[in-house]
Amino acid sequence: MIEEKFFKHPSFFPKTKPDKSHPIKLYLFAWLALFILSAMSYYVDYINLEGLIRWFLITILALMKAGLIVSVFMHLAWERVALIFTILLPPIFLILMLAIFANEGNAINVIRTTFN
Amino acid sequence: MQNIQLKESLYEGQKIHHPKTWLTKYIFSQDHKTVATQYFFLSLLTGVVGVILSIVMRLQLGFPGVFDISPDTYYQSITMHGMIMVIYLLTAILLGGFGNYLIPLMLGARDMAFPFVNMMSVHFYALSVLLLFTSYLVPGGPTGAGWTLYPPQVLLPGTPGYDWGIVMMILSIAVFIIAFTMGGLNYVTTVLQSRARGMSLMRMPLVIWCIFLATVIGLLAFPALLVAGIMLLLDRLIGSSFFMPDIFQFGQHVTNVFGTEYEGGSPLLFQHLFWFFGHPEVYIVALPMFGIVSELISCHARKNIFGYKMMVWALIVITAISFIVWAHHMFVAGMNPVLGFFFATTTLIIAIPTAIKVYNWVLTLWKGDIHMTVPMHYAVGFIFTFIIGGLGGLFLGNVSVDVELSDTYFVVGHFHVVMGISPILAMCGGVHHWFPLITGRTMNNFLGKIHFWGTFSGAYLIYIPMHYLGLGGILRRYYDFQGLAYVSDSLKDMNIFITLASIVVGLIQFIFLFNIIWSYFKGKKVGKNPWKATTLEWQTTTMPPGHGNWPNNLPVVHRWPYDYSVPGASEDYIPQNVPINLDTSGENSNE
Amino acid sequence: MNDLVKDWSSDVSTFKIRWSKAMMWIFLISDTFIFGTFLISYMAIRLTVVDSWPDTSQVFALHIGGTEVPLLLIAIMTFILISSSGTMAIAVNAANKKDKKKSGLFMLLTIIGGIAFVSMQAFEWTKLIIDEGIRPWGNDFGSQQFGSFFFMITGFHGLHVLIGVIYLSIVSKRLLAGRYERIDDYQIVEVAGLYWHFVDLVWVFIFAFFYLW
Repeated sequence: MIEEKFFKHPSFFPKTKPDKSHPIKLYLFAWLALFILSAMSYYVDYINLEGLIRWFLITILALMKAGLIVSVFMHLAWERVALIFTILLPPIFLILMLAIFANEGNAINVIRTTFN
Repeated sequence: MQNIQLKESLYEGQKIHHPKTWLTKYIFSQDHKTVATQYFFLSLLTGVVGVILSIVMRLQLGFPGVFDISPDTYYQSITMHGMIMVIYLLTAILLGGFGNYLIPLMLGARDMAFPFVNMMSVHFYALSVLLLFTSYLVPGGPTGAGWTLYPPQVLLPGTPGYDWGIVMMILSIAVFIIAFTMGGLNYVTTVLQSRARGMSLMRMPLVIWCIFLATVIGLLAFPALLVAGIMLLLDRLIGSSFFMPDIFQFGQHVTNVFGTEYEGGSPLLFQHLFWFFGHPEVYIVALPMFGIVSELISCHARKNIFGYKMMVWALIVITAISFIVWAHHMFVAGMNPVLGFFFATTTLIIAIPTAIKVYNWVLTLWKGDIHMTVPMHYAVGFIFTFIIGGLGGLFLGNVSVDVELSDTYFVVGHFHVVMGISPILAMCGGVHHWFPLITGRTMNNFLGKIHFWGTFSGAYLIYIPMHYLGLGGILRRYYDFQGLAYVSDSLKDMNIFITLASIVVGLIQFIFLFNIIWSYFKGKKVGKNPWKATTLEWQTTTMPPGHGNWPNNLPVVHRWPYDYSVPGASEDYIPQNVPINLDTSGENSNE
Repeated sequence: MNDLVKDWSSDVSTFKIRWSKAMMWIFLISDTFIFGTFLISYMAIRLTVVDSWPDTSQVFALHIGGTEVPLLLIAIMTFILISSSGTMAIAVNAANKKDKKKSGLFMLLTIIGGIAFVSMQAFEWTKLIIDEGIRPWGNDFGSQQFGSFFFMITGFHGLHVLIGVIYLSIVSKRLLAGRYERIDDYQIVEVAGLYWHFVDLVWVFIFAFFYLW
């Protein structure tokens, strides 16, 4: 018989009460909302909107869907603030990366079209 | 077995796995101390190869044509030397070696949060090293594009290893990133979730803060390298044109592996992605160095670290800013010049928290009871070399100066001092310092001092002259300088001098390796806590700590880790787990 | 905010959650950076190319009963993945209530959704490679990088879905065999759920920025 010693680490029993279970209705509502938002995104393409309004709507709808999934399905809305901040802050670096890369990409395009 | 598994999952406490066979004890060990030792050995072996490669390079540069080193060999040596030293030696030894050993011990835990994942990470690391060296066996040899692997040259005929070497290199890096992610997740989870009772984050030793933040940087920076590597690999293997532009070579449109032409890609994107990883990478190396030095200085000067809170905040600020300085490696790459202004500003800003740390180390030494032990030699040497090397960086951070100095030996000198000499000094100091803990014996002091003075002089004999070479116009990654009229004889003589010095200093490194092996068998045995340190790893019952680290109960922490020379105390140190009212009222201690 | 300070200055643990859940969240942050970098690189290249970028509504249209319905397959795939996310959330909810059968059932539904998604993705790849002749090095619709980005991004996403299907299969098998009931600890279902929701989250962004933009 293999002897294994197991030591109960104090962090095992979190001091906070476990979350109350949510009613199924919550998830069904989130699912419905996601479905509607997806249909709206699809519609943006279906009616062939162009330009700034298209991009704005696509982005905002995607962010709303992402927010729903993260907060409801992944339960972040009911987690402690420390965890929420830890998860939501690193993507700021991605936003910065996006801005710099967009600037650079644009500049390259200008060079390529000017000097082609 | 079924029974054990059920019991195992009932407790989140470290599942201490008691190995029975030689294989599970030494090869597939889940004990963090064994995993750390495995990382040490593997990375030091790889480092020896890196040193040998550097000697090959120096022989060519000092004595061009004498040693029959072809241009291909030279470029392959540069690339492998760079990749080995930065990633496979420094990152692995500082995070894998020191991190794995110290984190559970200093936090008062029995092991890492997920020991199985820990074991997997070192085996993936070993696999990545194997893949790296396999590039010597594929047709064409290793890639010779420089450790930065810039396209389009890396995939063009003419560059050694453009066909298979680069594939092996990218595969090796990808496996390393998997290993790093596994290890990194473990460290972050352990540091955040399984500390001892009483150990708040602001009571952690600085080296843990540093390794923790370095791991965080790595988890966020390595994805960019992985993505860049995948896209480069796809360019090579399936003929995509992510980075390969409309390029002509010898009048022909360059074609991919399927015979169609490359078109439309952006080499600059690779540079952005690479340096988005590459700059945080140097902080992944730098931060553990800082941490080790903080521990050495406070312990061997018997004085608390000056300004612990500011040290922590400086680390956090460095971590954050390290992600927004990357394009200072690209001032001359042809990127949008407006970005140059932005990145130069952030680069100069990041010097501020770094300088705060340097001031605090010096202020820790000020009026301290300094014991000039070998670790203290290394720590003080680190401060000297890091300042000197860092000052070179101040020049390079400004766009206008960088335009002249970029891709010259000024840059080579700068980064070798801060990424070559300083980490070696910090690491060797750390090994000397923690050797009694790991083995129960001390290392030989005489050999240690020889190694220290040899390596420390190396900074001044090898790399400061490189700054002059750079100012004189000697460019990096050049195979030789024959026929270049502006290269005067004195610069060539300087190259010879650097080569000779580097051979001597390179050989001196073997003294350190010999010291480790000799002291392991013949070193003087010492009792518990020979340096009289306050941190938890020295409070275990045996040196080396047994399986599970603390045989009975986990330690409970009552004070911060730097209660040295507390007025009124009976000894000049109070360990972290000594209760407050037992020895003075802890006037000097935090909280 | 008070809680924030209290958590970060507490001893033992910063996040008052299980270690496996903490590790999964941190892994997901790292994976977010991978997919974020993929999509940002896609944006960067698309900005730089001078060739025209193919119209996704045309490329990804399905011929149904004589009319061309743009992006129909993608819409169905999105619907399936979101639904599988929903069933996974219900499975986690049931597991927290220690309802083994309901949780197992909904996990199986999730797995079926995942397999359906991967199959449809494979179908789409086949259609594009064989029917439309799109290759990583070129296509008839426009810029060459369209094909390479499409295969790379959807390939890595599909790989993550596949890994998720395998992961969920292992967990649901163990769940239905009563392993977690015996030790009275169902947290692994929640951890697996986090991974699955992340896969859905990535798809939201791929759908928005690759297919719609």
